[in-house]
Amino acid sequence: MRLTLRCRVTLSFGFGLLVVTSVLAFATWNLASGYMLRQREASATRQAEVNVRLVERSLASPGFDELLTGLTTGPDSSILVMSPEGLVTAGRKVEPSQLPAGLVEHPPGKERITVDGLPMLAVARPVAGNAVYVELFGLQQLNRTFAFLSAVLIAGTIGSALLGAALGSWASKRALKPLTELNCAAGRIAGGDLHARLPDQDDPDLAALAAKFNSTAQALEQRALRDARFASDVSHELRSPLTTMVNAGAVLRRRREHLPGTAGTALELLTSEVDRFARMVVDLLEISRADQTDDPAPEEIALDALVRNVIATRAPVPVALEPAVVQGDRRRLDRVLTNLLDNAERHAGGAVLVSVRTAGTSARLAVEDAGPGVPEALREEIFERFARGVMAGSRGDDTGSGLGLALVRDHVHRLGGRVWVEDREAGGSRFVVEMVLRSSDG
Amino acid sequence: MCVRVLLVEDDERIRQALSLALSDEGFTVDEAGSGEEALPRLETESFDVMLVDLTLPGMDGLEVVRALRSRGDLPIIVVTARTDARDVIAGLEAGADDYVTKPLMAGVLAARIRALLRRRGPGREAVRIGELEIRPQEGLVHRAGERVHLTRTEFRLLLELAGASGRIVTREQLLQKVWGYDYFGDTRLLDVHIRRLRRKIEANPDDPELVLTVRGTGYRIRS
Repeated sequence: MRLTLRCRVTLSFGFGLLVVTSVLAFATWNLASGYMLRQREASATRQAEVNVRLVERSLASPGFDELLTGLTTGPDSSILVMSPEGLVTAGRKVEPSQLPAGLVEHPPGKERITVDGLPMLAVARPVAGNAVYVELFGLQQLNRTFAFLSAVLIAGTIGSALLGAALGSWASKRALKPLTELNCAAGRIAGGDLHARLPDQDDPDLAALAAKFNSTAQALEQRALRDARFASDVSHELRSPLTTMVNAGAVLRRRREHLPGTAGTALELLTSEVDRFARMVVDLLEISRADQTDDPAPEEIALDALVRNVIATRAPVPVALEPAVVQGDRRRLDRVLTNLLDNAERHAGGAVLVSVRTAGTSARLAVEDAGPGVPEALREEIFERFARGVMAGSRGDDTGSGLGLALVRDHVHRLGGRVWVEDREAGGSRFVVEMVLRSSDG
Repeated sequence: MCVRVLLVEDDERIRQALSLALSDEGFTVDEAGSGEEALPRLETESFDVMLVDLTLPGMDGLEVVRALRSRGDLPIIVVTARTDARDVIAGLEAGADDYVTKPLMAGVLAARIRALLRRRGPGREAVRIGELEIRPQEGLVHRAGERVHLTRTEFRLLLELAGASGRIVTREQLLQKVWGYDYFGDTRLLDVHIRRLRRKIEANPDDPELVLTVRGTGYRIRS
């Protein structure tokens, strides 16, 4: 999987700083440790020179042993004076065999060695012709300093790498913030909120992008509005002639008995189609308005009471109602239920149960019918506008506008809910509207 | 009883068709093509109900409604082709008692007209609520001894609320009883009328003491 941009920026910041600080730390280590070692060697050599001169003067004197002991500088240091007459040592016990042969045979010289696991600096000097003076200086102190120095340098390197990563993360977050906003706004537009815009940017790099995005969104919004307005205008213009037609039709229908035979049948066809036409125009207008009108402030609605009220005006339907209060626009909810009931009547011989149930944080309004059910493949499609074709078999005398379920979906979305259709266990279908529950105490 | 309806509509075809269909429903329909034509006729003739299209040439439908309302409580139904909230509310605020949207059907319109004209049932005692005195038989309302002019719809709304003597009356009940809506839904109609009623009978309409809102349910009167 490819890493995200943020991840990559963070990693490269961290890695970059790690490389830079390791190089610096390595250089520091080399310079500092070399310098300290040289200092130590120089001071050891100086001391050995001084000691050699003292030893030379008193090589044959009787207090030679004491002198050597006095010359040792600490518990770790040792002095060996090897001459053909014998070996004299002082300080820490060291065998000449432990010393490097080259150093003993060809003084003067110095070498770092390890004796009994301890780091030492051996300095050899020739004394009075054929004797060799070897002094060993303990290096533990220096090694401890080196250990401390390296610990500090390593910790510093790791710390700066982490700091680099944090910096990278912060910087990328800052740099990507406009992208996050863009993503958010694009998501809102995709979700149907055409008012979404990006905030103005003062950064010249981003201003162009933001302006472009906003103008695109603006164009999209205007286009959507134009389309909606066109549908609205068309149905609006159709209303006046329809009013004439519907009422003239009503007058004619009253005189149906004066028109026997073919003329009467034609009249019936005409008037029923005019009625359907009128319904379609009303629904079309409503659907084109659904995106435009500003809703009144949402109010609390007792869903169970609303169902009872709607059903009271229609043919009786069994109900199973739990108390549930939702937030929304009464008119929309009312329309949703009415359309679902109309749909059940039209295609499934009427609803057999209307229920309101609560589950967790949601309220579910369900309209059940015992009709033929909706095939799986059409369950999305029937909520499309003019999707009547998909239910071809059910075109009867009283077909709807083809917009009823589309209106249901529009209204439910506006109410912040979901609507779907599922199989009813005992055959038929169940249309479910799910909304956020305000409270269940009715 | 023969109900006389004055139909103010500029589209001649609609006017004719509606006129025919309403006559079929048993009304006597007089037609006027504009507000300028309708208003003088009201001086000389008496009508039971007015139907006013909101989009009229010349004098706007809203102006016609306002002019009518300032003269008396003749029931007015506005006819609108636009169902935008703004138009409907403007019409109701101007003083209309009800509204219908195009394409309107004569059957629906007839039901509305009958509901508007329906008289109250016989004999009821005068009701007192605070400073308010309602005399149902005479159709009079007094506040602190002073007559308050209510339209017929406002009066019936007040009576329905007073009749419940303090109990909650739901929006649906009010819409059903006052306007004859068997299909509830548009509570804007009710809201605007409650607002108008409050303006007339409350000391402070923004802080009502008589007609109280019961959130999410309806209204009740202070008992």
